[in-house]
Amino acid sequence: MDKNMILEVEHVSKRFARHTALDDVSLSIPRGSVYGLLGPNGAGKTTLIRIINRITAPDQGRVLFDGREIRPEDVYRIGYLPEERGLYKKMKVGEQAVFFARLKGLSRRDAVAGLKKWFVKFGIESWWDRKVDELSKGMAQKVQFIVTVLHEPELLIFDEPFSGFDPINANLLKEEILGLRDKGATVIFSTHNMSSVEEICDHITLINRSRNVLTGRVDEIRRRHGNNIFQVAYRGDRDLLDRALAGECEIMEHPEPELGAAYASLKIHVQDDARVRSVIGRINETVELRSFTELIPSMNDIFIRAVGGQLEEAQPVGNESSNS
Amino acid sequence: MATTKIGIIIAREFNERVRKKSFILTTILMPVLMIGLMVAPTLIMRYSKGETRHIAVIDRSDIIAPKLESGEEVIFEETDLDLEEARRDRTDLFGILWIGEDVMTNPSNVKLYTNGSSSIIVEESISGQIADIIEKEKLRAYDIDNLAQILEEVDTKVYMQVFRNDQTSGEGDDKQANSSVVATAAGFVLAMILYMFLLIYGSMVMQSVIEEKNNRVLEVVVSSVSPFQLMLGKILGIASVAVVQVLIWGVLICGVGAFVMPQLIPADMMGSVEAMQAGTLDPAVAGGDIEMVQMLATATDFGFVLQLFVYLLLYVVGGYLLYSAMFAAVGSAVDSVQDAQQLQTPITIPIILSIFVMMAVMKDPNSPLVFWFSLIPFTSPVVMMARIPCGIPTWEIILSLVLLYITFVAMVWLAAKIYRVGIFMYGKKPTFKELYKWVRYKY
Repeated sequence: MDKNMILEVEHVSKRFARHTALDDVSLSIPRGSVYGLLGPNGAGKTTLIRIINRITAPDQGRVLFDGREIRPEDVYRIGYLPEERGLYKKMKVGEQAVFFARLKGLSRRDAVAGLKKWFVKFGIESWWDRKVDELSKGMAQKVQFIVTVLHEPELLIFDEPFSGFDPINANLLKEEILGLRDKGATVIFSTHNMSSVEEICDHITLINRSRNVLTGRVDEIRRRHGNNIFQVAYRGDRDLLDRALAGECEIMEHPEPELGAAYASLKIHVQDDARVRSVIGRINETVELRSFTELIPSMNDIFIRAVGGQLEEAQPVGNESSNS
Repeated sequence: MATTKIGIIIAREFNERVRKKSFILTTILMPVLMIGLMVAPTLIMRYSKGETRHIAVIDRSDIIAPKLESGEEVIFEETDLDLEEARRDRTDLFGILWIGEDVMTNPSNVKLYTNGSSSIIVEESISGQIADIIEKEKLRAYDIDNLAQILEEVDTKVYMQVFRNDQTSGEGDDKQANSSVVATAAGFVLAMILYMFLLIYGSMVMQSVIEEKNNRVLEVVVSSVSPFQLMLGKILGIASVAVVQVLIWGVLICGVGAFVMPQLIPADMMGSVEAMQAGTLDPAVAGGDIEMVQMLATATDFGFVLQLFVYLLLYVVGGYLLYSAMFAAVGSAVDSVQDAQQLQTPITIPIILSIFVMMAVMKDPNSPLVFWFSLIPFTSPVVMMARIPCGIPTWEIILSLVLLYITFVAMVWLAAKIYRVGIFMYGKKPTFKELYKWVRYKY
């Protein structure tokens, strides 16, 4: 029960008739972090999010909010944007937003005041009295986002938030999410879009086949998965360098420099950390060293590596769940 | 907190529906239509006069023709033409009536040739007049003095006043029983209203659930309220729409009825009606048709109407709640209204069955069949509503209401279990076996 953790999931399992959605999953979400919940389709992400939102109950395990068992009234402190989202088509935009805000415990007056501000911010104030089915998809998504964050929740949960957004709106959304984090909110962020993970998440958990297979800080994970591969840029004699490095390290790629290129490049694999310094020394003695960089794998590589090995025998997803 | 959330859901469901044009239209038009249907025949009878029909009469017996009386609708003209000529030449008339020579001994020897379509009313008034004339002629042949006077004295009609011995009030006033005609008609109408409400509002709940599911708005809502609260709020919200509609109809029908009725009923009859309601009517002085008076007395008895109205509300609400819970469960399990057909069938069967049982109530409101079906919660709303106007023991009504509301609570509990699983199921259409499995899921 760490007070720095806003949410802790402890040994949660959830089974449906013919398949297991979650198998003994534990994770801790630090206050003020942007926490990525990753995993392929059908891994159990949505089930986990539903359990956190108290939409379904776990078979085993428990969820702690603020260091104590989560309670029904905690939904007022959580904002949830589901992947499968929608609005009442025949309702007016403003009225509908007020409806959702009141379900989150706001009074009508507070809801209207707060909503007006957000509507102005997103430039959709003229839509207040329009019906939802007149809105474009992007507009509806904005309304949906406002409804999720209006009650200023401490914990925000976004399930695939960028799906359906055009790049401009996706960027706007990203800025807003980071802005909310800066104001002190904690964000859980479920996605399989890895580039957005590197950009905005500081912690991740990777769920695959109902289990937590990888968890930790993004930078640590990437470093841990780095394999001591380095990229070198230099100016000098290519053959001389090859000979100088023989025995020191494994040369993975060493293409002929392109005609007119300022530098030649080299990719090497160093067996252990202790030899890195001597490798650099050798290169420096032989050629003019311009840069020496460790190649840290992208989250995408790590994701594919972590999931890939198990994907071949992935079990079919039963109809009991609409997980995605 | 849970109740305020349900309140917000109820308010949304209610506002969405009450503001719709279709709701406003049906709510106002239905009673107008119903009253129109009741009043129209009287008005038509009063103001529509058939065209005058001229009929040439060829009377070979010379007995009938002089005594035929022309009226507003039919004018008889004796003619000297023979049948062939008349049929050929007098096509300008409505028809030719031919009466045979032996009509006194062979009354079937009467023929009407018409130059166009005829009507039952015209034909009956002609044959009736002829029969009367023949009857009188035959009686005259017996040569009895003061025959007409004797006949008038002998002619007897019995008006039976019906009292409910089992509902006598303390002060010894006999309770005048309600007109069986009115009671049966009222029972029929009320049962039909119930039937309509159960089906229409029940499937409204189902459609609403399916719509939320298809819109994908459901998951947004259930992150703030529990699925059970959402389902209950939806059911109660639509119930309040039904109640408002019944109330508006009640007020409109009573109001318009109070305004229109006195215009249609002659004043002296109204006096008798009031006397009968007060229990002071002396049948001997009652004007004219005492059956009519009793019918009107029943239909305008405020206490009787109010009582029916209260029971109607109780059964509309109870029956609706029971059925809408089932409809909600079915709606949650499917993706489209088409898919719902199969699962819906077991729900609609008892509603339709109760309409058949209601027909049996028309014959005998106290038969064992009817009694049991008016206690079984799935059929009781329609069947009991048909029985109540006939005056049945209060304990039966209370027992049936208690059973109905208990079953409703049990059904909501069961439906909620299906609902909270069903709303997240997309794609495959579930079978009953799967629904049963969902009920047993632990959540």
